[in-house]
Amino acid sequence: MAKTSKTPPSERPARRRRAPRGVVGTGGILMHDEPGGRILLDDPDSPENDDLQPSLDPGEQVAHSLGALSDLAGGILQSLAPRLIRDLDHELRERIRNSPIELNSFGYDPWGFNPDVARRTLLLFALVYRYYFRVQTSGLEHLPAGRMLVIPNHAGQIALDAGMIAIATVLEADPARPLRGMGEYWLPTIPFFNVFMARVGGVVGTPKNARDILEHGEAVIAFPEGVRGMSKPFAQRYQLQEFGYGFMRLALETNTPIVPVAVVGSEEQAISVGNIKPLADLLGMPAFPILLNYFPLPVRYHLYFGEPMEFRGNANDEDEVIGKKVEQVKARIHGMIQEGLRRRRNWFF
Amino acid sequence: MTRCVERLLITGIAGGQGRLVAKRVADSFAVSGVDRAPWEGHPDHITVHTMDLRKKKFEDIFRRERPSAVVHLAFVRHFRADPMVRHEINVAGTKRLLECCATYGVKKLIVLSSSYVYGALPESPYYMDEDTALNVSRHYPDIRDLAEVDTLCNTFLWKYPDIATAILRPVPTLGYYVHNSIGGYLKLRYVPTIMGFNPMTQFLHEEDLAEAIGRTLETGIRGIFNVTGPGAVPLKVAIRETGGIAVPLPEPIARNTIDSLFRLGLYHLPPGAIDFVKYPCTIDGRRFREATNFQPLFTLEEIFSSVRH
Repeated sequence: MAKTSKTPPSERPARRRRAPRGVVGTGGILMHDEPGGRILLDDPDSPENDDLQPSLDPGEQVAHSLGALSDLAGGILQSLAPRLIRDLDHELRERIRNSPIELNSFGYDPWGFNPDVARRTLLLFALVYRYYFRVQTSGLEHLPAGRMLVIPNHAGQIALDAGMIAIATVLEADPARPLRGMGEYWLPTIPFFNVFMARVGGVVGTPKNARDILEHGEAVIAFPEGVRGMSKPFAQRYQLQEFGYGFMRLALETNTPIVPVAVVGSEEQAISVGNIKPLADLLGMPAFPILLNYFPLPVRYHLYFGEPMEFRGNANDEDEVIGKKVEQVKARIHGMIQEGLRRRRNWFF
Repeated sequence: MTRCVERLLITGIAGGQGRLVAKRVADSFAVSGVDRAPWEGHPDHITVHTMDLRKKKFEDIFRRERPSAVVHLAFVRHFRADPMVRHEINVAGTKRLLECCATYGVKKLIVLSSSYVYGALPESPYYMDEDTALNVSRHYPDIRDLAEVDTLCNTFLWKYPDIATAILRPVPTLGYYVHNSIGGYLKLRYVPTIMGFNPMTQFLHEEDLAEAIGRTLETGIRGIFNVTGPGAVPLKVAIRETGGIAVPLPEPIARNTIDSLFRLGLYHLPPGAIDFVKYPCTIDGRRFREATNFQPLFTLEEIFSSVRH
């Protein structure tokens, strides 16, 4: 505050008010015991706040009470949570803290990623990862140090494979590499979801965003099969669908290594017998699959991270030239999937 | 070349930013300024003409003083005035100034545009560079005149290759002297936001913007430059740090309320401004930093404390 010497003393802010946590939404579950304080809340016990407490207006008093209540509720919930969850939460916190992502003093990266929101989301997926799908991951030692494009196959009607890969790179890679996702252009228009998407590391998939985020040294995940892969019927399981070319052009342009990933197990989590395309179109959904089970089966996931593939060439080459390079990635993933299927004993183990 | 002191003309010198720029460059230039409003108690070594840019006598300043450099800050950015008058001052005033610059041999021209000209659109990239289209009129037609001014100066930039024209597009600027829409918004006790939206927002301290303008003058760079500060935070962090309380309103309610209040003159921003609290309008400032070695001096914490109430 001393540096804003332009401000005459009479105009200087008299105090730093304590942020009303209940209102701004940073308080709550698992947040109050943050050691080191990544979330910068002002010290409520400082003397200058004490003598000003009585002057709080009613609105602020309500906000304070709500903040305190939410802290209390968070504390109770946390102490009730099983040790297993608390340990996993702690592990995620440490690993995200040691990841190469740079945060500003308010705890955000330039794209709005926030480790606390991300951790709480990852926690849910981490429980699924460890105890429901019991994921077996190999090849994480191949991850390059700087920027990378993670290119997996896509399957399973619900995009849980994305979540499992994201957990693997945080929970099992050294150092942890939180993955950045590229979203559709209309996603930022959805209330609440847009904020959530940014906090967990997603951005809109514009070419400029993709370039910036890769040049910043981040790990970006993209599914070149898109919905074609995710919504295919059970009979076509583990048959790679047509790949989009965007990821290859991006890799060539930014000189980014591609990490091919094979996901084995995702195809059996939900068994699709058909897809009602007209209904999907009517509802504006990418697909409307008819499933035997709408709740995923407890199959075992196997993730294989391949060695990084480096490509050189002109990003603006014709589709034919780019397509040949894309086929190489596709072939590598296909090989890894077949190998994984050979090794797998059955769906569940 | 003779080493005489260069003469600098600052339009809009009586505004907060104008005064800061005048102070920043007073040692290296002979400064004079024009403003519609008077600057009471201005320093003696600065000449201030109280005059409208659209008046005929404005040209006399160029004839008499022959400035070699011009910093153009005279824009109406608030909505209290008649929109027609606002448009005329901003666009016709700029056009007039550009003509004078071309006629009277000005060597350097700096125009203060803003990052708002890019507009806040859901599909915009996070860090827009200077080649991004000026999209503001799609959702916020009330400030399209600022985009028109920017375009006008861009044309001037290419038309007169001998004049070092620099168009600066800074992010929202905060500070003690500057009075602007974002400052007024953050100084509210209860700050309306849109429920379910919390875009990343960049800020720059007013002194740093004055420094950026000073460096532009000193380096004589030519082109369009985004000017960014120390970084970005979610809007609600900025509201919290400046001492406000965010009041999230569902969008339809917010739009109707703000529309009515604005019409009645009870709220200072038109409903088009809502998009700027929904979607990020964040820009990439690398080009300017590489060209001038500019580094902001004030941190986000210091910027917020300069407007805390």
